[in-house]
Amino acid sequence: MNADLETLQESNKTELERRGSIFNIGAPATEAVTIRDQIAVGFGDGTVRFFQSGSDPKTVKAHKGVVLSMTNYEDHVLTGGEDGRFLKISSDGNIDEIFNFGSKWVDCVASHKDTKVCSSGKTVYIWTKNKDKPQTLEHQSTVAGLAFDNKGKRLAVSRYGGVTVWKLNNNKWTASNFTWKGSHGTVTFSPDTKYIVTAMQENQIHGWRINDKADLAMRGYPSKIKSFTWVGDTPYLVTSGSSDAVCWPFDGKEGPMGRKPIVVANGGKELATFVKALNGEKAVFTGFTDGSVLLAEIDESKKPIMIRSSTGSEVSTIAISSDNSQILIGDMKGSILLSSLWADN
Amino acid sequence: MENTSQVPVTVLTGFLGAGKTTLLNRILTEQHGRKYAVIVNEFGEQGIDNDLVVDADEEVFEMNNGCICCTVRGDLIRILSGLMKRADKLDAIIVETTGLADPAPVAQTFFVDQDVADRTKLDAIVTVADAVHLSSQLVDHHEAEEQIAFADVILLNKVELVEDNDIVKVNDRIRKINPFAKIIKTTRCDAPLDEIVGLNAFSLDRVLDIEPDFLESDHDHEHDDDVTSLSFVSDTPLDMDKFQDWFGNLLRTKGQDILRSKGILNFKGEEERYVFQGVHMLMDASPMGPWPKGKDRSSRVVFIGRDLDNMNLKEGFDNCKSA
Repeated sequence: MNADLETLQESNKTELERRGSIFNIGAPATEAVTIRDQIAVGFGDGTVRFFQSGSDPKTVKAHKGVVLSMTNYEDHVLTGGEDGRFLKISSDGNIDEIFNFGSKWVDCVASHKDTKVCSSGKTVYIWTKNKDKPQTLEHQSTVAGLAFDNKGKRLAVSRYGGVTVWKLNNNKWTASNFTWKGSHGTVTFSPDTKYIVTAMQENQIHGWRINDKADLAMRGYPSKIKSFTWVGDTPYLVTSGSSDAVCWPFDGKEGPMGRKPIVVANGGKELATFVKALNGEKAVFTGFTDGSVLLAEIDESKKPIMIRSSTGSEVSTIAISSDNSQILIGDMKGSILLSSLWADN
Repeated sequence: MENTSQVPVTVLTGFLGAGKTTLLNRILTEQHGRKYAVIVNEFGEQGIDNDLVVDADEEVFEMNNGCICCTVRGDLIRILSGLMKRADKLDAIIVETTGLADPAPVAQTFFVDQDVADRTKLDAIVTVADAVHLSSQLVDHHEAEEQIAFADVILLNKVELVEDNDIVKVNDRIRKINPFAKIIKTTRCDAPLDEIVGLNAFSLDRVLDIEPDFLESDHDHEHDDDVTSLSFVSDTPLDMDKFQDWFGNLLRTKGQDILRSKGILNFKGEEERYVFQGVHMLMDASPMGPWPKGKDRSSRVVFIGRDLDNMNLKEGFDNCKSA
């Protein structure tokens, strides 16, 4: 009985699973970021592990409790934890505590060049180069998302009731408010920085055209949108939250206004929980509630490729190495697949 | 609907000074062999320092779907989803609310937010009441009434400081507002923890425990602002369509004033008992197995709320009886 089951599972393995490595960490994978040829993953047990092809991951005991947020910063990662600590961690395990907020969580982190940013409660803290004391930006409710634009001149802060976009001029931050009723989470600038988009607590995403604050409401999802990613030159904003990867076109003057999204990577009964662009291609990886991952071109006539088969636990993170050679997939049970994307690698 | 992997969440309410902190300290320090996380409010009482304590902001959010009852605790959604990423599984989570907070948004969060509903479940609303001061608090603060009205369990604390006949008076006052809560009289919140945590009070089959004794009488009351309860019994089977029309419309139009509702229903032509319970206009309902043999198939409903006399509840309920 057991042997049969194993044979069956073996035959169901995807090409990437056969040539890759699987690690069972035993705690939910919460975040993953790429630093050069390594992929750093934060876990629900407070560890940050650095994965690299051909070797065992290096484990850093970073936080007590969940690693809530993570981003890359020069050759390091910045993490925020349930233990109230904001940390800078190097891949050889050096931990530098930037700040300790005590019993308040560090919910969000962001960086641009040598600027380190985190949020705890309603306040955003900004550390610029060679300054020990952070600048602080106050908000009316708890900060739920942070994003820099590509020049690092603007910082979008999502919260209840909309987004505050802070602009840096002569070392001073000035606020501009983008309002929409409801609670806003993860936030992103479009690559051309003409739009900002948030994932809401309701099953919808909301966008604003920055120059005239025109609203874009993208609705019709059966569940919350936990993840989005910009894909291709158009570009498309690809979102989770549905049984497909839903791809909104952001080209032209009006972006997705009045247009229908393209849907690719159908997961059948499963809902998409994580999406990640394949750098330089018009293609996206989509992870689902059952742990499976599909790679699809943004083209409804093309068939997606199965990258990872079902694990029974929802995909919580996907990262691609900076040279596009490796993919890392993590789920809520803490199973990690690290594999080369290309057969000849 | 029942999912054993859902972590139970107990909501702890009560006025400042009633004894919530005493209870929380017991939960955190007693050797009970279980792992609890406690979410406290930054404006709450001082004196709890523990790794298992999480600071919250008590941020009440309106959803943008236009439903006035869909106010939720945004901070709770964020914190619960964070706690669910922990490697070690929690046995229960306790959410403390401040004395002046309305418990409804906390309860509604478990109905409205799918992620929260998938991974956690509302276990019970526990209210700590100060036996010395409750009577005057009920007069001065409508929040005190609401905390009593919403409760599944009421710890009537500091009873050692009150004369026996005054305890009877306070007990009667509580019963007028909330006929189905379990009242436990305590000194320094010394009730066994298993009577406070892990009760499954929001599970629909617990509605079957409603004591018929409490359902006999209409209570008189002083003014329309008061929170009161009304209950009705019918031995005549109900017409399902008529009931759904009436009850749906009632919750839609009066849901703001109906704090809690519960009932067991006998529908004509149906073999199974129907059970429902609601918080404001949000409701959970399901068939709950066949009627016990040899017992009366009587429908019982109870409402707790404000201004119940102006909702024609008796007439509406009677109109649902099948011809």
